[in-house]
Amino acid sequence: MSGRADEREAVPPETAAGAEPAPAPGRAPLAVAPGPLRVDDAELAACVSCGLCLPHCPTWRVTGAELLSPRGRIAAMRAVQWGGAELDGTFVRAMDTCVQCRGCEPACPSGVPFGRLMEGTREALAFGAGRGRGAYQPWWRRLGYEVLGRHRLLLAGSTALAVAQRLRLVPERVDRSLPRLSLRRPRLRRSNVTGEPVWLFTGCVMDAWQRDVHVATIAVLEAAGARVRLPGDPGCCGALHAHAGLRAGAERLARRVIAALPGDDPVLVSSAGCGAALKDYGHLLGTPEAERFARRVLDVHEWLAARADRLPPPVRPLAGPVAVQDPCHLRHVQRAHPSVRAVLAPYATLVELDDEGLCCGAGGTYSALQPDLAAGIRARKLEAIGRTGAAVVASANPGCALHLAAAGVDARHPMTLVAEAAGLPG
Amino acid sequence: MAQRYREPVTPPGPSTAAADPLVADLRRALAPDRVRTEDLELALYGRDASGIDAGGRAAVVCLPETTEEVAACVRAARAHGRPFVARGAGTGLAGGAVPVGEPVVIVTTRMTRILEVDPDERVAWVQPGVLNLDLTRHLATWDLHFAPDPSSQQACTIGGNVANNSGGPHCLRDGVTSAHVVALEVVLPDGSVTVLGALDPEPGGYDLRGAFVGSEGCLGIATRVAVRLTPNPPAVRTLLADFASVEDAAATVSAVIAAGIVPAALEMMDARITAAVEDYVGAGYPRDAAAVLLVELDGLPAGVEAHAAEVVRLATAHGARAVRVAADDAERALLWKGRKSAFGAVARILPDYYLHDTVVPRTRLVEVLRRVYQIAERHDLVVVNVFHAGDGNLHPLLLFDRRVPGVMDRVHAAGEEIVAASLEAGGVLSGEHGIGLEKKAYMDRLFGPDDLDAQARLREAFDPDGAANPDKVLPAGARCGDLQRAPEGAWI
Repeated sequence: MSGRADEREAVPPETAAGAEPAPAPGRAPLAVAPGPLRVDDAELAACVSCGLCLPHCPTWRVTGAELLSPRGRIAAMRAVQWGGAELDGTFVRAMDTCVQCRGCEPACPSGVPFGRLMEGTREALAFGAGRGRGAYQPWWRRLGYEVLGRHRLLLAGSTALAVAQRLRLVPERVDRSLPRLSLRRPRLRRSNVTGEPVWLFTGCVMDAWQRDVHVATIAVLEAAGARVRLPGDPGCCGALHAHAGLRAGAERLARRVIAALPGDDPVLVSSAGCGAALKDYGHLLGTPEAERFARRVLDVHEWLAARADRLPPPVRPLAGPVAVQDPCHLRHVQRAHPSVRAVLAPYATLVELDDEGLCCGAGGTYSALQPDLAAGIRARKLEAIGRTGAAVVASANPGCALHLAAAGVDARHPMTLVAEAAGLPG
Repeated sequence: MAQRYREPVTPPGPSTAAADPLVADLRRALAPDRVRTEDLELALYGRDASGIDAGGRAAVVCLPETTEEVAACVRAARAHGRPFVARGAGTGLAGGAVPVGEPVVIVTTRMTRILEVDPDERVAWVQPGVLNLDLTRHLATWDLHFAPDPSSQQACTIGGNVANNSGGPHCLRDGVTSAHVVALEVVLPDGSVTVLGALDPEPGGYDLRGAFVGSEGCLGIATRVAVRLTPNPPAVRTLLADFASVEDAAATVSAVIAAGIVPAALEMMDARITAAVEDYVGAGYPRDAAAVLLVELDGLPAGVEAHAAEVVRLATAHGARAVRVAADDAERALLWKGRKSAFGAVARILPDYYLHDTVVPRTRLVEVLRRVYQIAERHDLVVVNVFHAGDGNLHPLLLFDRRVPGVMDRVHAAGEEIVAASLEAGGVLSGEHGIGLEKKAYMDRLFGPDDLDAQARLREAFDPDGAANPDKVLPAGARCGDLQRAPEGAWI
């Protein structure tokens, strides 16, 4: 990845086609009657159907089906929005099978903001377009999303689940896709050292299931000169809600996160999916306060890569090569994946996957809701990992790590690897 | 191992395509989930990257995985009196995979296996759904590649390249697909399977391989392709020359070729498309240039250096404001990514495009380009030019928004004038995109009745009933007594 491309990628998404301040001559006024989908008409019009997105779409790669490709999904949205086509089961399946990895976005020369189109489409479905309100997101799914926003309940539930795992009470089909949860979670403590003040966003599932990553992250940040502050209870970032079309829930959670992380200090995130969501709060809420907040958000590797000279020395460099798996929301959305390499490089021999960052199939709740497709997508990732010959995979997103671990991959967070190689408590 | 994903299958019902007895036969031949019948899915296969809507739609869509399954699809279609259309990734620009009427659409996107690579003989057997760039990436182990590199390289299939005899920037020196296919296994329009061409250098008999490559799905469906592999060059230099006028850039093109240099690629982009591409790729393309040339030289290091110096000298002598040499592979890749994204980037200007693919003599480039700009201006349309300058293969893109009332009439009128201007200058209709639906009506401007009749006879020899991709390539009446239906809503 060259530096020049990164500079460009800092350009805000508002420069994408369709949002230009002055329309080019001959561009149609927005004369089309608004259809049922909550999408911007110019953004929907910006696809020229060239098909360059196809190879970057995991569901197209697995099925070869146009309906399960970004171009096909946009054509389906247009059929509904402009052509009056029915919001039938086929349409819902086309939308529901999308992992929302957004691998199609950097592949699109015209800059179609596919993630926004998909979220707006799902929002319309969740709100009851086409069918009853409960049909698209039934009560049990809504309940699950609700729990993510109630951290104490999530922690208690996770402990109960850990006990159930040990008592073999969890159905095998479900347990297969879960990690082995700990009965006890280490206590997190904010830094009592002096240094550059930063917030660490702790999140929901990650805090409940992978708190050891937070412990390692705090240790690495302190070693690099940070004074880490922890929010009281920021809870869930709302990414999964937004992806599911539950926008009101996402907005509510976003406001709570902003309130829990006041001031001007940088907000560091070690989960790529959450980081992408936090960086999008400006767009989600549309307030100056949210935009200011979004500008403070950095993936933890971005912050560390800018302070590479302060990283702790490698006292126990990792023995074998480490394959770097780019979480989609770090690579395609935040476009911050080079920083993971910059941070890891002193501690391990890094090897690249040869699949151009194709999704692993985790996709937040996707692996649970579309298990067959998720497994098919993961099979390609496993092959790519196999071709590297590396025994350890670094993944900066808890969902990807869990999904890969469920297939027997030794997937670890880069912060865990750095803490180990630097001999830090973690 | 992952569970095999299966798409949900619509059960047969009275009002759906699933009730068609043809569908029942296809489902017996293929796994049921690979025979698609839902309305929305069928509609999606009604178009390709050309944007041409011929008013047709797929009767049913099949996703076979083997030669036997393709043959079974063809036989089932024929048994039920249906025509069939082959489709790869749908990146075609001439509507070759767009259904006319209600044919069976046979999609090769699940035929993605690279079957065999012989690095010593420099030949690989691949299934038709293998993506062009996937193949080249796979061959990197042996320091080999597949030479044809259409701009849609990352998404287009080898089967599609065979059908359209596709080109690409690097075909200036290396030749188009026909020069890189040694043999083909094909399913003929009667459902039988045969092999055309052979791996030995002088196969006996007529060169039916040569007839099949570029036949746009009208002679059958390729199910295995033996492709010739090209060694990666030991040295590569990519130069970006920046001009204040299109004329200067075009003059440089002629001067380079006249100097006896045949670059690996020699591409031109005009001002507006260069700016749109730069917005996407950020490769450092000059936003204020009237035209840029992208010149790639490869071969032995000493020769490459000498030719690069000569190209810099010629460009400067013809008014180049600057010539930049890509410093490393990353910079080279970024420049090419920009050039190859040009068509896809046009929505940054306007959301729809219609392009032609005419080839004109290099010496007439300046004059034809000037006429193209005049034609667009007269019809109040935006035109951008991005093309294979080295071989005179123009790609004028007329940009518009189809939601603007009346714009399509202007686009069609301008397109026709552009074709006429190219033919008047001694050019031909298509360099590499194929004729498909789009240029069918222009065929009689280039070919006389005897030429068209000869082409129709060849087609008839393979497909006497006209079942394979009907209503494409040859205009109605190409053969005496042959009355083909004009596609409704066709663009031309």
